[in-house]
Amino acid sequence: MQAIVVDNLTKDYDGVRALDSVSFQVDEGTFIGCFGPNGAGKSTLLRVLTGQILPTSGKAEVLGHDCREEVLAIKNLVGIMPEVESPPSYLTASEFLYFVGKVRKVDDLNAKIEHWLEYFDLSEVKGKLCKDLSKGTRQKVMLASSFIHEPKLLFLDEPFINLDPLYQRKLREYLTKLREEGRTIFMCSHILEMAQRLCEEVLILNKGRIVARERIEDMRARGEDLEVVFMRLVGRTDVAAP
Amino acid sequence: MSLLLEMMLKEEYRMHVNYSSRTIFLALPMFICFIAFGMGVSLTQLERNISIQELLTLTHVGMFLYGLSVGAFGFLGKTYIERRYGKTNYLINMPALLPLSFKRTFLGMYLRDVIFYIFLVLLPALLGLLLAAPIAHFSVISIGGVFVGALLSFLIGVSFSFAVSVVYTRSVKAFMFVAFAFIALVIGYGVFDLYSIEFLLPALAFQLSLPPLTVAYGSAAFYFVICVVVIVAFTALATLSVRESINGGKSRFKDVYPRYYDRFAFAGSYQTLIAKEFVDLIRSGTIGKMVFSFVAPLVFLSFSTWYVNYGLAIPVGFNTVFYAAMVGFFGVLLYSWLTNVDLSDYYETLPVTVPKVIKSKLLTFSFLTVGISTAFVLAIAIINGEMQLLWLALPVLYITSTYMVVATAYLTGLSPNSFLFNPEVLVKFAVVSVLPDLGLTILSFSLSSMNVAAVLGIALVLGILLISTFLFYRGIEEKWARTSFP
Repeated sequence: MQAIVVDNLTKDYDGVRALDSVSFQVDEGTFIGCFGPNGAGKSTLLRVLTGQILPTSGKAEVLGHDCREEVLAIKNLVGIMPEVESPPSYLTASEFLYFVGKVRKVDDLNAKIEHWLEYFDLSEVKGKLCKDLSKGTRQKVMLASSFIHEPKLLFLDEPFINLDPLYQRKLREYLTKLREEGRTIFMCSHILEMAQRLCEEVLILNKGRIVARERIEDMRARGEDLEVVFMRLVGRTDVAAP
Repeated sequence: MSLLLEMMLKEEYRMHVNYSSRTIFLALPMFICFIAFGMGVSLTQLERNISIQELLTLTHVGMFLYGLSVGAFGFLGKTYIERRYGKTNYLINMPALLPLSFKRTFLGMYLRDVIFYIFLVLLPALLGLLLAAPIAHFSVISIGGVFVGALLSFLIGVSFSFAVSVVYTRSVKAFMFVAFAFIALVIGYGVFDLYSIEFLLPALAFQLSLPPLTVAYGSAAFYFVICVVVIVAFTALATLSVRESINGGKSRFKDVYPRYYDRFAFAGSYQTLIAKEFVDLIRSGTIGKMVFSFVAPLVFLSFSTWYVNYGLAIPVGFNTVFYAAMVGFFGVLLYSWLTNVDLSDYYETLPVTVPKVIKSKLLTFSFLTVGISTAFVLAIAIINGEMQLLWLALPVLYITSTYMVVATAYLTGLSPNSFLFNPEVLVKFAVVSVLPDLGLTILSFSLSSMNVAAVLGIALVLGILLISTFLFYRGIEEKWARTSFP
């Protein structure tokens, strides 16, 4: 069964085409990475799929629900880690997780809050308001809030970007575990090395269009890595490693 | 400084254009020019009911109050800083990244607002009066005098408000002291008649020394210097008092959200959101500002009406029903505060819709205001010996409050501050608020002379407001369901 079905999806912002007739499908249980240069339309695609913004035209379905008409159903089923780590300013980390848990009607909530506070070492900042936390810590709070209801499908926008190497590793291990459990993960990222380790498939966007859809295995079989493929496909062969 | 100021002016202009569109935004000064022109040409008619001196006094009080509202951004300084990681960033945050002093940047912000609002409001009004001059036979010198006087009142208001808001960021106690001292000065004039209004508004004294009232240039020059000294003193006090770095609060708090969640169990599906609203309001200190911004206009209103009735001995029938209607209309301010506590973009990650959050804020508004507003109306009824009017005043209070806040929520969603800068929304807002307000005010004045008809009239207005409230409330779902969180 398909977890995500996108058909001829277009999104315009004030006359600027952010997504241009994008079509693809993702099978359940797939860990797919979405890559592209800045402004390629990755975050816009993720925001349309999670019902945060409406598409201009075309159709998209997530877990069988229409992204235009059934936004609440989608948000109930998925976990979303947004591009900007912005938990509410005046709640503490544990209060925010309690709030999210209550909104999502999570069972055994207190135990799950304890688990995630411990997992991300958030007990150290107990009692501090989210506005006073560092960027990385706020990122951990948002990650915990997207994992707490154990969703079937996760949408992650740059989940590694503010984390230190220790927590990057920890998060990588957790996502690997989810992949092995058969959860579906859609991740936008610029960290190609991390993506190559985690993803089974990659979707490369450039100027709002899909320029490639590949399996990491196939890439490896050709003796290429994601960075080389990425540079070639987005037309930046001039950008060489120092 | 000039480059920073230029950038800040561009930022302010683009921010306002972003609220609506360039055309609509630029229509605002044209609209003001048109209104000033209209007032100019109809001045002869106005003079039959109000003297030039009274008109100038009202203009100066209005400009001073307008300046007060413009200069209050000092209150927002800390909020701007704390929101630097949100969707919107401002030049005021640049001292964190660049070798710029915060005092200098804050002064830039002050000058930006002064220049921006002079161009947006005062100059178009001046142009309107100048255009009316040939028709109304004004002298250009008189118009120039009125403009300079109004500008001075505006600048005194801005600089005073700027200074007081900076004092607030340093010490709430000092702020309360200044606020009470200001109220005492107003009472000294209004109640005890200890001095004339020119003592409070030196720009008015400057104005009254000039044509068309008198020609006393020496006195005008003296008051002009006083005004400049006052403006410079307040500006300097504010700039020097601004903290160079605004530290984020580093305190630790007990987890209270679960307790609030349990407390609002009766709110059904709104329980989670309302509990969060209350925690936000208390932790951010907004609840204090809200109570102040609700109670202060009520006190001001009570004082002004008392002054008109007893100070000026003009027998206007301000009764408990009138006050109840007014309290209802002040509720808009509170809704605006409620939407301004924090960014709400994290809601995008949760199964929550914009209408649901709007409705949770409306419920929070009700919980916050029912007690205070009922107590106020009750107190007014007791003081005026009008307990017999309570049966009418309380429904007027509850229905107008609910109507106003629901209408505002329908028109502006979660961004009342932004949308009320959009002239199109502003006109709609003016229509939905001013018409019933006028109706209720006039009918409340008629209560003593034509009881039954006035009561029936009030009942009719309340009936229309109830139906409109229901339609607006239902419309919130349709209008805002497909929008993103601001």
